[in-house]
Amino acid sequence: MSDEPPDPLARLGERIDKARAERVQREPSAVDRSTMQQGLGLGLRIGIELVVAIGIATGLGWALDRWFGTRPWGMVVLFFLGVAAGMLNVYRAVAGISAPVGYRRPGDGASRSPTAKDEWDDDEN
Amino acid sequence: MAIELHPLEQFAIERIIPIHIGGLDLSYTNAALMMTIAIVLVTALTVIATRAAALVPGRWQSVAEMLYEFVGDMVDTNIGHGGRQFFPFIFTLFTFILFANLLGMIPYSYTTTSQIIVTFALAAVVFILVTTVGIIRHGFHFLSLFVPSGVPKVLLLLLVPIELLSYFIRPFTLSIRLFANMLAGHTMLAIFGGFAASVGFLAFFPTAIDVLLVGLEFLVAVLQAYVFAILTCLYLGEALHLH
Repeated sequence: MSDEPPDPLARLGERIDKARAERVQREPSAVDRSTMQQGLGLGLRIGIELVVAIGIATGLGWALDRWFGTRPWGMVVLFFLGVAAGMLNVYRAVAGISAPVGYRRPGDGASRSPTAKDEWDDDEN
Repeated sequence: MAIELHPLEQFAIERIIPIHIGGLDLSYTNAALMMTIAIVLVTALTVIATRAAALVPGRWQSVAEMLYEFVGDMVDTNIGHGGRQFFPFIFTLFTFILFANLLGMIPYSYTTTSQIIVTFALAAVVFILVTTVGIIRHGFHFLSLFVPSGVPKVLLLLLVPIELLSYFIRPFTLSIRLFANMLAGHTMLAIFGGFAASVGFLAFFPTAIDVLLVGLEFLVAVLQAYVFAILTCLYLGEALHLH
């Protein structure tokens, strides 16, 4: 190769790029792996969301009933609120990591677009 | 056969250096020891590996840089603008939980994150930080987080309590998720280990399951640290950029 860069670092960079391209050809699944990991993280995340919401809310209702002597209404009401809160959390987790909270309409979450990644290299703060 | 099975024995707290101050039990326990080891290892990795920083990194520097970039990407994509000021916090949180989980995978060591008080303390710190950041950034307006927009007034009576509940439940889900995963996984390992010890020549089957479970546990150890960190990022991002 006559046009090989004289700089050893640039040569190394070239070799790394080549090796990466070869790896993608050899095992295309390596590209999907990060999305799979994200999905796995999400799945493990939401499993417990509903259960804990119902448990904590019902327990809170039971405690309120004990303090105020309003048995069984606090527990009944808070049980259903807990179910609703748990479902809401699960829905938000599933509806998309990028738009999770506060009924934000899709498209409003521009502040979290992938372009934010570029800010990492700037010294902004 | 008189093999006794105690799958939960591994979670027992033992006092290594008993310290009692004014009726408070401040003993240095095996859990505290593992936390100390985790912190020392993280510090060693990040400080020593990057001491002789080269342009083309060696093995350890490479590991430290990958960790740094991984958390950096996570912070950028999930907190967004202004997220970099929380990078040290997220990095500390992630590496501490990761190392505590992975150290727990070493036989005869102790899994700190299987104690709910440890994970709840971490989650409580996150919760207080997120709430404080939200209030400092937005003041009274922060409460608009609990009032969904574009909803009839009557429905707000129902929706605001639900929103409040789902907000205050966060430290619990955050801590119980990590604690339950570590506790359940390690208990399961011990139970199948106990089976293997008690069924004689059939021990191959529970042992095979245990081998598979160890692999799964490594996955869970890394993934739960990731989930904890990414949820912290999401909560922080939400407190920074309200509606």
